Amino acid sequence: MTSFAQYLRAIWCIFRKDLQVEWRGRQGVPVMLVFALLVVFLFHYALQLSPGLQAGLAAGLLWISLAFASTLGLNRSISLERENHALDGLLLIPVDRSAIYFGKSLSNFVFTGLIAMILLPILSLFYQQNMFHPALILVILLGAGAYTGLGTLLSALSIQSRTRDVLLPILLYPLALPILIAAVEASRGILAGQPLRDLQTWLLLLLACQILFSAAGLMLFETTLEE
Amino acid sequence: MAKVDSTRQVAIHGLVKRYHFQPVLNHLSLTLGDGDFCILIGANGAGKTTLLRILATLARPTQGKIHFGGHLITSSPALRREIGYVGHQPMLYNDLAALENLVHYARLYGCPHPEERSRDAILSVGLTDHQDKPLRTYSRGMQQRLSIARALLHDPHYLFFDEPYTGLDAQASRWLDQQLQQLHHPGRVILLAVHQPGRLLSMASHVAWLQDGQISHHLPLDRVDETPDLQAYLQEGV
Amino acid sequence: MHKKPPLLTLLDVLSAISFTAALALILFFTPTELTMGPVQKVFYFHVASAWAGMLSFILAAAGGIGYLATRKTRWDWLSLSAVEVGLVFGLIAILSGMIWARPIWNTWWVWDPRLTTTAIMEIIYLVYFLLRSSLDTPETKARLGAVYVIVSVITVPLTFLSIRLFRTIHPVVIAGGGGSVFKMTPRMLLAFGISLVVFTLILADFVCHRFRLARLNSQEDEEVS
Repeated sequence: MTSFAQYLRAIWCIFRKDLQVEWRGRQGVPVMLVFALLVVFLFHYALQLSPGLQAGLAAGLLWISLAFASTLGLNRSISLERENHALDGLLLIPVDRSAIYFGKSLSNFVFTGLIAMILLPILSLFYQQNMFHPALILVILLGAGAYTGLGTLLSALSIQSRTRDVLLPILLYPLALPILIAAVEASRGILAGQPLRDLQTWLLLLLACQILFSAAGLMLFETTLEE
Repeated sequence: MAKVDSTRQVAIHGLVKRYHFQPVLNHLSLTLGDGDFCILIGANGAGKTTLLRILATLARPTQGKIHFGGHLITSSPALRREIGYVGHQPMLYNDLAALENLVHYARLYGCPHPEERSRDAILSVGLTDHQDKPLRTYSRGMQQRLSIARALLHDPHYLFFDEPYTGLDAQASRWLDQQLQQLHHPGRVILLAVHQPGRLLSMASHVAWLQDGQISHHLPLDRVDETPDLQAYLQEGV
Repeated sequence: MHKKPPLLTLLDVLSAISFTAALALILFFTPTELTMGPVQKVFYFHVASAWAGMLSFILAAAGGIGYLATRKTRWDWLSLSAVEVGLVFGLIAILSGMIWARPIWNTWWVWDPRLTTTAIMEIIYLVYFLLRSSLDTPETKARLGAVYVIVSVITVPLTFLSIRLFRTIHPVVIAGGGGSVFKMTPRMLLAFGISLVVFTLILADFVCHRFRLARLNSQEDEEVS
């Protein structure tokens, strides 16, 4: 097997292992989902929202609850590796260590995407708005990809600190701001009925974030973990 | 990517590792020859774990060079293919079954027939009856056995074991003795840290004493009586 | 050697003199802007501070890259110094921005892209310190600090861009009219350019002092141990 094929295989194995562990334990996704829903309720009352929600508020609500839920998932995902020093085991494998980054980014992405897909019908129900646009799904994929790409790298930093879970949000949110702004604006445009062409800039920004953060992960992940 | 030489040898020169700017390892030098089975001894906190982690590429030295098989390689995938490491933690997932854990690693190491290889490994550690149970149900000793199986799965040539007997009962200890005896032959290098060398004195070929961040003594076991301090230290542990 | 190097003393003097000169220039040489009045003169130091804050960021990232490449502590000192000094300049930029905004737009805060990005940059600087203080060994602080600062430098332009785009879609209507744009006469341009140079000089001076402090601290630690 060529080393690149091995590299891809390692990414797949790590991704698969994350899904497998989640399926067994079911500690991550349910918690993320419940938290996302709680955020929706909190904002509903805090901002006095009502059905017939303006596109902007709907988009904002979607992405805030998604961001919070995703951060929980990121914390859980990296904590998994801390138990029993499983991360050391991954560092030992005969494959470039960025495979760990990509494998975990992928599983984080899938969990976040899953939450988003569950949130869409729920928000549609709560606010009597049809949120099922294919274009919106595209934005969710791009946004979740960029967010989890950045988050996975930063979770490798936070896991090494004394404050652990508490640190990830403050590391992540200031740096994830461009992703959130772009995602909310693009979502808002789609929910308001704007054609995708008009929202190109936001989509390109999301794509740029994804590429840049993945590149950062590719280059810095190993250094972050090597004592 | 440099290929690892078939002459197994580990040569460490001037290794320094600092924490809080204080050297835990202070210009340490050690050469392990092909076929050596070397016991690493030293007081708690002397730096045995640090040394083993650096050799296993889990930590980066502050200074110094390590040659594997005559080639200077810093942590690279090719090198890691040849290394087996047992640490203080099993490096496995609590929610997965024992067999699933090993299959995961067998795949990551690119072993042919990963399921078969994993089953055989579990059989050899005597855990077949429990192979489908999640790791969290395992006792410390069982986890340790599985961890050793994990380390040997890919047939590594450089073995770095950090106090592997911890948590093992008499039967499991005998099993590990057997494994080590089988592994002790040309083509492999074993460095094993123990707190009390005891039983290993009859199996190993060399002993290295880590003191003050350096290897103060590195001798073949049959020459230990030349060094009274070392002999005394070893006798205490028996 | 604990004596201050002569070059640094020279830099101190140069900074002090040029700062005083720039101040005099701004107060007496530049014309008073028509609509905004004398308060507009805060602008020179406001932008220069923001500029210095940005430069610090880049310096910090350079320190981060340097550390990861060489693992020599002095690069970490550079990062740390640059972030600390940048934090101060950023704060000056924000405060002077607020002082400028108040009489002109009748509000203490405007969600202007530059100002907002500067505020976010300040938060990132603070997070840098929170990160470092939550880590155990100096080696880890340096390594992870470097990673964080490098990732941050990537996001700041993206943040600015996204906020800018956001603003074009959601323009903020400011009571009192007028924008932040005004035409600069040659005198003003000269003063502006000089302010930028002066603040760059002051930045270099402060960073050098902070760097020296870091070096002296570590020497002291070595002597004690």
